[in-house]
Parts: sequence; structure tokens; C-alpha cells
Amino acid sequence: MDFKKFRKRSPWILHYNTGSCNGCDIEILACLAPKYDVERFGILNRGNPKQSDILLVTGPVTKRAKERLLRLYFEMPEPKVVVAVGACACSGGVFRHMYNVENGVDKVIPVDVYVPGCAARPEAIIDGIVRALEILKEKGKEVELPHWCSAQVKPPVNRVKLLDRCLEELHGRR
Amino acid sequence: MSYWTAFILTLFSPVIGGFIYGLERIVRARMQGRVGPPLLQPFYDFFKLMDKRSIIIHSFHAFMGIMYLIGTWFALFVLLSGGDLLIAIFFHVLSLAFLVVGGFSVRSPYSVIGAMRELLHMVAYEPLYVLSAAALYLVTGTFQVSGILHSKHVPLIYLPLFFTAVLFSLPAILKKSPFDTAEAHQEIIGGPEIEYSGKFYEAVYTAKWIEYVYAFFFIFLFAGGNHILGALLIIFAFFFFNLLDNVTARVNFRQMVAFHWYILIPLAVINLMLIALWRS
Repeated sequence: MDFKKFRKRSPWILHYNTGSCNGCDIEILACLAPKYDVERFGILNRGNPKQSDILLVTGPVTKRAKERLLRLYFEMPEPKVVVAVGACACSGGVFRHMYNVENGVDKVIPVDVYVPGCAARPEAIIDGIVRALEILKEKGKEVELPHWCSAQVKPPVNRVKLLDRCLEELHGRR
Repeated sequence: MSYWTAFILTLFSPVIGGFIYGLERIVRARMQGRVGPPLLQPFYDFFKLMDKRSIIIHSFHAFMGIMYLIGTWFALFVLLSGGDLLIAIFFHVLSLAFLVVGGFSVRSPYSVIGAMRELLHMVAYEPLYVLSAAALYLVTGTFQVSGILHSKHVPLIYLPLFFTAVLFSLPAILKKSPFDTAEAHQEIIGGPEIEYSGKFYEAVYTAKWIEYVYAFFFIFLFAGGNHILGALLIIFAFFFFNLLDNVTARVNFRQMVAFHWYILIPLAVINLMLIALWRS
């Protein structure tokens, strides 16, 4: 039986705010409220990385948030997709090149879909999630690492060790 | 009911429970002015979780998740095969104990808090279920489920206060608002089930569907031999607890235990004493 087609029927969302102004977060919550009601498509806001498929990230990734973001990314089981919501998450937005931000989510974890806007409109967020589901359907189940991480994945996967290795590299970068 | 019909019915109980859960999600959405997911949504979730990679914390934790499923399933089998009511209640307690032990075995604080609250849930509602087994015995003269289902009496007429008490503790057994402290999704993100993922979360998820069937079968017993009344009671209980879920906020664990021990259990005991006096 091919289970892949059920992936886009019940995507569960994990939402993380990496120092956003809360504008995009309110729009994400507006998607779940009666007017847009994304539960029609089986989308639930789980708040639990171990049981979710889509990571919705808002904000320009502050220095304190980058480690948490990486931890959350590692705690999500594959297949998973990352959606960067809002101008800050895409490129840093008005905070770009400030001393305390990472200039966007894709500097820390690989991003599949970028949703622009300040704040991103609920229609745009739903559009972004639909695009993310197409990517999710094609994804494999092998462990994904950030592009800058040089760790090797060997069959009995130890996520704790992989995370430690990546964190070491993340903190040594600057 | 013969042994084999019961076996097949138990085997398909997750399907029945899944449909109840799907219907519940639609009813809840409609009550909130939303459209809600399709009826088959729980099964889509089920098949999606089959395909997810499972992250295991340690093997004992994963094993406890599966034992929770098996324990609940077995408790339901005892009920459906017309076995002893007390044994079914006992196996249900045992299955929850597996979940609690699994919750305590990991280092996540949410999981440990959730497991403690799960124990408080058991303290709150289990006495009521044991008492209701005793009350059903007083009315129908047997602890056997098959005997209760073929009894000439309708226990609901003799046990109205009891039925009210069980109805109000339904949110506690199914972990719905106002008594959902054990898996408060906004504060402890699911409690004891937080660390399960992939296929092991699927086991816990399915066990919750089976608990729906278990809880509603208990409601069904209150109609005794009158099965049409039983079906009506189930439909009433379903809408009642959905309404209760939507209109109430979460109470804390003290209020939950106090409500059960100071209001529901005295109600049940008064009913029990009146029926015993009337019988003698």
C-alpha cells in the first residue's frame, strides 16, 4: 500500500517563533480560526516536534533562538518540510545585517518554501503550505542535515550525537 | 453474543472508534462555526503516521506505548465478549498504568507531569466505574456483561443519579475539556504521549479510539436489555460531552478530583443506598 498520498491529507504543524514581532504568528493562528479553518484539510497545530510534519518558522532567527531552532529541527522525524513565513524569516527583513540576527531561517536549517509578506497574509500562508505539501509528498525518509553540517549519517542513527556535532559546528561558525 | 462475533467486533473496534473520533471532530468544528475535517480524517492521520520515521527514546518507553494499546483492546474484548464487568475495568486501569509507567520512564518534564495527572484522572473516575459495576449488579443481579445486556430491567430507571454521574465523568475518561488536565494540549502538549512518534504514537492514538468505544459501551450498559434505548443514550451522551467540551474551560487537577469526590461519587452513593434500601 502506498502511504505517500496520505501525507498531504493530514499535515500536522509545528509553529516556532524565532524572535518575530508576532505579526506573522497572529496570521498563522488566523488560518486555524473559523474564517480560514485549515482543519478542513486535516491540518492541526500540534505544538509537538515529534509528531509534526511541517515546521512553520517566523522571525529573523536571533542568536538565542538559533540553537533552539536547530534542536526542534532535529527532533522532527522525517519526512518533514520547513516553511519560512514572513519577510524576516525569508531574508531578515528590517532586521537584516543587525548584529544579533542570522539573516533568515535558511542560514540555520534548510528551507523548502518561502512565504513573503510583512506580515504574511493568511491566504499566502495557506498557499505556502499547499506548496510545501507537494514537496512533502516527494520527500524520502532518510535523515536530513543542515547544508553546512559536515557530519556523516550512519545506519543506526543516533540523533543526539548528530545534534551535538551540528551544535558544535554551529557555535564554532562565528 | 458468541465468542467469535465478539472477537471480530473487537478486532474492528479501532475502525468504529476512528469513525466516532472523526464524527466528533466534525461536530466540534460545527459547534465552533467551522466546517471541520472530513469524516475519514483519523484514518488519514493513521496512514500518514505509518509512513513517518519513528524516533525511539528507549525500547521500554516504546514497549509501554504498545502495551497501552493491547491493554485497552483486551479490556474492550472482555466487555464485548460478555465477560465480567469488574475484570474489564481492571484491565482498563492496567492499560492506563502502562501509559503512566511509560510517561514516567522518560526525562521530559511534560511527560512526567502528564503521567502524574493521568494518575489523578484514575483516582478521580475509577471509583465511579467500580461503583457503577456494583450498582448494575444490584439492579440486574449479575456482573456478567452478557447477563446485563439480556436483563429484563432497565438500569437507567433505577439509577438516574448514577447515569448523570457517569455522564459527567465521561470527559475525564476520554480526556476532554473540562477534565483534560492529563493531556492539556496548550500547556503540556499531550502529557504522557508527548515523546511517542511515528508508529509508536500511532499505537497510542489508536488506543484512544478504542477508549471511545469502551466508554460508550459503558453508557450502553445503562439501558440493560433495551438496546434501542441504549443506542439513544449513546447518541445523547456523544452530543452532551461534545457540548461540554466546547463550552467549558480546563479546570485544574484539584478541582477535577474535588468535583468527582465531593459531587459525583456522593451522588452515586446516594443512589446506591436508596436502591439497596428499596430492595430490602
